[in-house]
Amino acid sequence: MTTTDWPYLDVHQSRTHEPTPYEFKLAATLEEVFTKDGHELADVVRGLNARQVHAPDGGPWTEESFRAEIHRLGA
Amino acid sequence: MTTTPTADHIYATGLRNQWHPVVPSHFVAPGAMRKVTVLGEQWLLFRRSDSTLSMLADRCPHRGAPLSLGKHLGDRVACWYHGVEVETDGTVSSVPGLPGCNLEGKKLVRSLPVREVAGAVLAYFGDEQHPEPAELTLPEPLTDPGIDAILCYAEWEGGWRYAVENLLDPMHGSFLHHESHTMFDGDTTAKFRIRETDRGYFFEKTDQRGVNFDWVELCRTGVDWVDLSIPYPASAGPGGPFGIVGMVCPVDENRTGVFFWRYRDVQGWERDSWRFLYKTLIEKRHWEVLEQDRVMLEAMPADADQHENLYQHDLGVVRLRRLYRAEAEAQAQGQAVSRNL
Ligand code: FES
Ligand SMILES: [Fe+2]
Repeated sequence: MTTTDWPYLDVHQSRTHEPTPYEFKLAATLEEVFTKDGHELADVVRGLNARQVHAPDGGPWTEESFRAEIHRLGA
Repeated sequence: MTTTPTADHIYATGLRNQWHPVVPSHFVAPGAMRKVTVLGEQWLLFRRSDSTLSMLADRCPHRGAPLSLGKHLGDRVACWYHGVEVETDGTVSSVPGLPGCNLEGKKLVRSLPVREVAGAVLAYFGDEQHPEPAELTLPEPLTDPGIDAILCYAEWEGGWRYAVENLLDPMHGSFLHHESHTMFDGDTTAKFRIRETDRGYFFEKTDQRGVNFDWVELCRTGVDWVDLSIPYPASAGPGGPFGIVGMVCPVDENRTGVFFWRYRDVQGWERDSWRFLYKTLIEKRHWEVLEQDRVMLEAMPADADQHENLYQHDLGVVRLRRLYRAEAEAQAQGQAVSRNL
């Protein structure tokens, strides 16, 4: 039987793993881009590239590569 | 074991004849069992390897040992004490010590109707007069495929009603959560009104919407839940405010399980961005806000509601108590009457 530990107080219930340094950096930069540059996909791609936060292949982001990567990370 | 519950007992341990959330689904893996307390009673959640879930009274029909100490046999549980085997519908399938014993084939253990919804187990707790499950209409934010919802579950010391009252008290957002990432803004004075709906009522500010925790809807649709919306800062990206569907599990008089689904109307890359930010950064901030509620509610004295001086902002709470108190009285009355027939 599963033991019942009371109380259950778990900060992180949606994570599947501790975020990597790359994920933390991307998340923090995304928040900054959303705050300062806007909420359109074009703003996001421009904002990330302007801040030198690179796509997984090491190059600049495109709308395509951002969509694919954020889908992998946010699924 | 069968005494008629008083209205006070029902009021303290949770209303009957409706659905309640129990625990998150993942608390019971395929092939596993879990002991849970709900409405002050002991239950066993039992999941077969094909994921079918059942909920049985945690009490062996032989001499009352907890079935949760027993053995999972795939499609039944064997009591540890003398080996009596009980099927998932509560039927005794075998008495190994005395084959052919007349307990065999009898449905002697109570089993509750269960449903799994958006990552949580819901169960129907009927009294003797209402064994058939009440019609259940699920919260739209949890069934709408265009809306993304993420469950947060926590266990708090304190009675269930304080947890619901906290949700029917939007004004606490501007004070208790003033330092939070979402509720720093808006007026610290407000006028509220109650607006009736066909499933409950809104308790809402008359003069501000979309700035802080400005409104809440209590919904009674077979299960009790609240819906509310809280604005996100620009950093959370596109998609506007996030909503919360809240439900409460009355564990016993002094313990409560809280279920909060944070939901947002987002699709495509916007959804993926929110989920990514949520997991990486936002979930922790939401948690800190929830901890403020827990600290406050757990510190409330047991007799807090005996020495109050309420004002206009507490109308939502007053209305809630009246509703629940009346229902507790009616349920106790109904059971007492049927016993004396
Ligand atoms: S008490 Fe369970 S088998 Fe006897
Ligand atoms: Fe709160």
